[in-house]
Amino acid sequence: MIHELDIILETASKIFSKYITHELRYDLNNNNQNLMKLWADIEEQGLTKIIVKENFFGSALPFNSILPVIQMSAKMGVPLPFTETIICNYLFSELNLEPPNGMITFALDTKNIKISNNEISGDLLSVPYLNLTNQITLIQEIDGIFHFIFIENTNGDLKSRKNFLSEPRFDLSIKDCKILKIQKLSLDINFNNIGSIIRSAQMVGSMEKIINLSIEYCSQRVQFGRSLSKFQAIQHQISEMAVELAASNAALSSLQIINEPMLKLDDIAILKIRTGIAAGKLIAISHQVHGAIGFTKEYELSYFTKNLNSWRNDFGNETYWQNILGKSFLEKTNLSLWEYLTN
Amino acid sequence: MSQFNFPSIQETKELSILRLEVRAFLSKAIHNNEFKPSPDAWVFSADPQFSKKIGAQGWLGMSFPKKYGGHERTALERYIVTEELLASGAPVAAHWIADRQSGSQLLRFGTEEQKHLIIPKITSGECYFAIGMSEPDSGSDLASVKTKATKTNDGWNLEGRKIWSTGAHLSNYMIVLARTSPALKDNRHEGLSQFLVDLSLPNISINGIEDMTGQKHFNETLFDNVILKKDALLGEEGKGWSQVVGELALERSGPERFLSHFTLLDAFIGEFRNIILKSGSNLIGKIIAELQTLRRMSFSVASMLQNGQSPETQAAFVKELGNKFEKMMVESLRELSNIIPLHQWPSLLQDLFEDATLRLPSNSLRGGTTEIMKGIIARQLGLR
Repeated sequence: MIHELDIILETASKIFSKYITHELRYDLNNNNQNLMKLWADIEEQGLTKIIVKENFFGSALPFNSILPVIQMSAKMGVPLPFTETIICNYLFSELNLEPPNGMITFALDTKNIKISNNEISGDLLSVPYLNLTNQITLIQEIDGIFHFIFIENTNGDLKSRKNFLSEPRFDLSIKDCKILKIQKLSLDINFNNIGSIIRSAQMVGSMEKIINLSIEYCSQRVQFGRSLSKFQAIQHQISEMAVELAASNAALSSLQIINEPMLKLDDIAILKIRTGIAAGKLIAISHQVHGAIGFTKEYELSYFTKNLNSWRNDFGNETYWQNILGKSFLEKTNLSLWEYLTN
Repeated sequence: MSQFNFPSIQETKELSILRLEVRAFLSKAIHNNEFKPSPDAWVFSADPQFSKKIGAQGWLGMSFPKKYGGHERTALERYIVTEELLASGAPVAAHWIADRQSGSQLLRFGTEEQKHLIIPKITSGECYFAIGMSEPDSGSDLASVKTKATKTNDGWNLEGRKIWSTGAHLSNYMIVLARTSPALKDNRHEGLSQFLVDLSLPNISINGIEDMTGQKHFNETLFDNVILKKDALLGEEGKGWSQVVGELALERSGPERFLSHFTLLDAFIGEFRNIILKSGSNLIGKIIAELQTLRRMSFSVASMLQNGQSPETQAAFVKELGNKFEKMMVESLRELSNIIPLHQWPSLLQDLFEDATLRLPSNSLRGGTTEIMKGIIARQLGLR
């Protein structure tokens, strides 16, 4: 499996570097030929079906083997709903539904949802990349049971979110939209947990890139007659980012050895908290050491820091998960903290 | 950037069994009043009698070869034992340095005779070591040490002063870093050597220094023409710097870098659990997230050591993050005290809190300062 994953990573890296430039990231529409070629290659190489079952033509690798791939896509700044499609395909496959072709995105949240006669109305909130695809999955609680729903948006009311994101996000109001698939979600699949894991993996990838950019920039930029990287104040700032990345890496790798992502709620909480904290520090420090150039759209840094801003708020921020984690321990009154930690 | 990776290592069943064994032993000892759990116990709380008991359990020199009285167990097994000792606040200061780093240093660089003489005593909890690195004029700039060892016909003559040597007053030996030849202009790391110094030799005086908490745990040690035998030279003449660097990975990566004040956290939660549940779960969650991450990193470094790697940079990550965590943890408890004012806490808990607060500044100084850790990391990043 390790070997197979290495090949996948190599393939992905080749495809990404063939097409991705910083300019590409700011021209996200279906007429952008390079963007469409990038997607076509991704799909052709089966990269969106790595964790899809074999009967749906996937590679059938375990869930967590996708994390290094997602990490790499974020590090290389893939401006497509690549991660979203991977996760949607995974949900299809786990529910024994055949995944559709093309890009698929998901709604992070919903509001005022009404379902009748196999039609759905309401608001889908914070949906990534709706400018590139109409295929949307959402998770909706109906009578206390979570359902997986798949629709194709045709004439919904699309509002681009004014926000700080690099990836496009939209709110969508749909009315009597036909439901293409609806199925009860099995209990072992928790969409919020999956979302937290993948966003964390994306953050780790972005942070690697941000540190590389900072090192590169500070080594080249000369002020006061020497490169910025020779100033101890700058060295310490960059070291601090490295410390944060190391901690995030450790939190991520603890999930990589477990093959059942749904069971380890505490590990997911720790991962999202730790990467969220790190992301906050990296955003501030990397912009500080870059000076004004980092604040421009032309230079790459902001693409990655904006993504961090977005992802650390998705699927529950640090405080949300800290409360869950804190309660998870405090409520087990028969366990001391040490017993809980070493359990 | 492989230094940023901390491969996840799982605790096996065997390790968990060992953990429970150590835990049962310690709770029995607490129950029998053999010790009172205390904070920062690996620095402040020395009890040679207790060290011998731990030795008798087979929990010292765990990874040392059997032919020198060791137990040939893994670095991971040792990690489990040290975690349990720290979490319980057991009085482990007497043997801590010998077991953590000096014994390994001796095994790598000592003579057969020294190993046969000293290692079994470390393993039984009867022989203690102090670190002879810092000097009054050499702190973070360790390569500037002035303590000098001069070659004589049948050995060495040691002259100089070491400072901040924790536990030197109850130690049998100190591994002293001294200059044996002048520094090269472009490489000050050349010409330093390590010496195994028997602290019972004549012309050595050890003077306690009171720290800001009023306790005397560290010392100034004077070497006034101390005559050393030839074999006191540890390792290779002039290679002291690289030997010290190897030792520091052992010194900086262990769980004492984030469990020094666990006894406070534990007691605080024990006292206020229900109150925190109502309004402070968030802060406890943050503490758990940081602590578990650190435990994984430190455990991962233990496995690197076991595999014969030299994780000096990873050790710096653990130390830096651990120091920050402990400060954040104590500050968080302070924040939670808005519900019940500090002066209304049970007096034992107040003591722990005050101890921790007073001792916190030393966390990010001992074993290398924050600035040194960041410098090590910056070098690895190619910035220096």
